[in-house]
Amino acid sequence: MAEPAQPSRALVVLRPGLQTTVQDAGRRARALGVPGGGAADSTARRLGNALVGNPATVAGLELTLLGPALRFEAPALVSLCGAPFGATLDGIPLPLWRAVAVQAGQTLDVRGTPAGLRAFLAVRGGLDGQEVFGSRATDPRSGFGGLEGRALRAGDRLTWGAAALAPAPRALPSPEVRTPFGPHHRLRVLPTPDLTPALEGHLCGPVFTVAPQADRMGVRLTEAVPAPHDPTRPSVPNVPGLVQLPPDGRPILLLPDAGTHGGYPSPLVVIQADQPRLGQLRPGDTLQFEAVPLAVARQALMAQEQALRQAETALRLHFASV
Amino acid sequence: MSAPTFEPLGDAALVVRTPAARALLARLWRQPPPGLLDAAPALGQVTLLFDPLHTDAARLEQVVRSAYSTLTAEAAPPARELTLPVTFSGPDLPWCAAHAGLSEAALVEALCALTFEVAFLGFTPGFAFLTGLPPALQMPRLAAPREQVPAGSVALGGPWAGVYPRATPGGWRLVGHTAFQAFDLSRPEPVPWRAGDRVRLEAQRG
Repeated sequence: MAEPAQPSRALVVLRPGLQTTVQDAGRRARALGVPGGGAADSTARRLGNALVGNPATVAGLELTLLGPALRFEAPALVSLCGAPFGATLDGIPLPLWRAVAVQAGQTLDVRGTPAGLRAFLAVRGGLDGQEVFGSRATDPRSGFGGLEGRALRAGDRLTWGAAALAPAPRALPSPEVRTPFGPHHRLRVLPTPDLTPALEGHLCGPVFTVAPQADRMGVRLTEAVPAPHDPTRPSVPNVPGLVQLPPDGRPILLLPDAGTHGGYPSPLVVIQADQPRLGQLRPGDTLQFEAVPLAVARQALMAQEQALRQAETALRLHFASV
Repeated sequence: MSAPTFEPLGDAALVVRTPAARALLARLWRQPPPGLLDAAPALGQVTLLFDPLHTDAARLEQVVRSAYSTLTAEAAPPARELTLPVTFSGPDLPWCAAHAGLSEAALVEALCALTFEVAFLGFTPGFAFLTGLPPALQMPRLAAPREQVPAGSVALGGPWAGVYPRATPGGWRLVGHTAFQAFDLSRPEPVPWRAGDRVRLEAQRG
């Protein structure tokens, strides 16, 4: 018996944007030298997925600085969360931070953002893509994951998973949960054994500027500090949010695609609660490091998680009832 | 076995220093403690990445301490032997030979006589830190790293030897090139070596 023709759940890339990649919650294969990967602003990823009724970890598109234009071949429920990108759906302004129903044949056109750097476009059902070590996150440097291990190009076609279409929830996540964007940032940090009193004076307090070299591996800062130099230093594992000091003294903040090991002194680590902010650091933004006790880091994470879970739970109830 | 030492790294990682890092990592993979997200080994240490909403450094330390007390009974997976065909024509080969006080041919012969061991993987997918260089053959890293080291480059850096799985920046001295693929997702085992494996270099005619 012939199957009834199914409309294919697909979108076509009309314009790729600057660096648009499939991202999810990342992978766990550091022992093979494989970076964690995943959406650089995890809060945008979680809320975006919750808004369309997806599990928190599924794949969507991460947009950077200039968004893509996408034509949908099938009806979809989408959300765009993150930096305040200008976007339209068939010419009508698309609200951020809420779920929006897209009709087959409509074009979602995401332009630039005046502040911040990235947004996460979630599609109900979750985007398909090459799964490597348990994740569909694109690692462009190694060329795997997502769509052929690379950023989108015009003409690409992306599909998404089956999920019953649902009406858009009316609930909106409260603005306080969202990741703040620039132009000025305060990043709370914890010291490592590499931090000396002198280095702390140079790093914690003074204002740094985000350099143009800011990608998914790391964000360079333009102002140099006196860096300890030890060429015999062994390579040790990196962790997300680590602040490295290469010999030129210009700090590097590590993002999800950073190599798993590094040999530079690393005097600070950005606290978990502030790591989504790293994904919104835009060249030209300024930032200051603020050393905090572990208890403050813990409290900040708990408070953030509670707010996020509240938003997720409210949205989950909506989708459970449809 | 001397007791491990512990040091938090930020609010979501714990560095465990122990000569038995490899066995410890194997044990933690088999019986992951609650909240453990990932683990990255290095020489004499393993860094545990955890979810601070589910555990903390102190609780993880306790689990590791109790796992550690029974580690000696663990059987390590059998070491494998890999032979890498290498064309010794790297741009730094003459410099390295001079640094070692050898002719290029003698340096190549000395390198091919060694048995390396995979100490741990890290840096980029499939990159293995190979130990086994005697001090006379250890090379200082470049003062300024090359912006692009070709994939397949066989390199010496400090106490290590290695093969770059893909083109990346790199500060080690390039002595040769191999067709050996250290990372290939089309294979059932994308990364063909693991800690403990033994590696020999075999000179190919360039």
